[in-house]
Amino acid sequence: MATTTTQAAMAQSKAEANAEATAAAFALSASITVVFNVVLAFIKDSYPPLNSFMAALTGHHWRTHGLADVILFLLLGWLFMARGIPSRGLTNGSAATLGASVVVAGAALGLWFLVN
Amino acid sequence: MPFKDVLLFLHPTFGVLGLVAAVWVLVEALNASEANQRRIQIASIVVAVMFAATWFLAGWFYTVYYHSGDQALIAKGPAPWAHNFFMETKEHLFFAPLVLAFFLPIVARLKLWLNRPARNMVLVVTALIALQGLAIEGAGAIINWGAKAALSQMVQNTTVPAAQKVTN
Repeated sequence: MATTTTQAAMAQSKAEANAEATAAAFALSASITVVFNVVLAFIKDSYPPLNSFMAALTGHHWRTHGLADVILFLLLGWLFMARGIPSRGLTNGSAATLGASVVVAGAALGLWFLVN
Repeated sequence: MPFKDVLLFLHPTFGVLGLVAAVWVLVEALNASEANQRRIQIASIVVAVMFAATWFLAGWFYTVYYHSGDQALIAKGPAPWAHNFFMETKEHLFFAPLVLAFFLPIVARLKLWLNRPARNMVLVVTALIALQGLAIEGAGAIINWGAKAALSQMVQNTTVPAAQKVTN
């Protein structure tokens, strides 16, 4: 009985550790995707052929842009998860990195369209 | 009511529901315990579903109806910046809370009452979704005003000369 309880606790602890590694991988992926989103907006806005190419793919550049963001988020998250990145797992630094990238990317986006 | 107007009303409605659900998760996470963990997980999925619905509905309106309707109108009105700044920023900024909304259920399934970094992550993500959601809703209101101001100007331009003729 005691062995079964210990095994169950160990399995639960391993599942939690896996879930945390997944969250850390997708947190890093989200940070990169948010920055990618803004960089793509800048390039698209200043290089019309890219805008036209993206529009040709799905019928509208905005559809392609959104799909590219979501696919990148899922792909990078899966890739980081498979490779155990970040090795430190989920830390307070992960939240700070994600928060900073969202705030800086949002501010840069606003400034870009204010100036251009 | 034309279908495009139904879409116009529906997309911010789902956006607000997603925003409210994010605040719900934020408040639950501030008081994280074993007892409310299930509620946090469910609410985080609600956030993701609401943002997915907003993406679909807003995308439908924006890519099919906006350019030939509101955008053309705003461009002829007194506030073309309602599109040039607010719409351009809004349409791209939206993808940040969308990605955060999809990420939220992944981190919210951790034991937040035991795992402080996970709890902090949920707090940061939900606060950002709520703040960006509010900014996007505000931008939407300004874009609507831009279209309304353009219509007012058109009506004034067509009715004022007629009124002057009657007076003369």
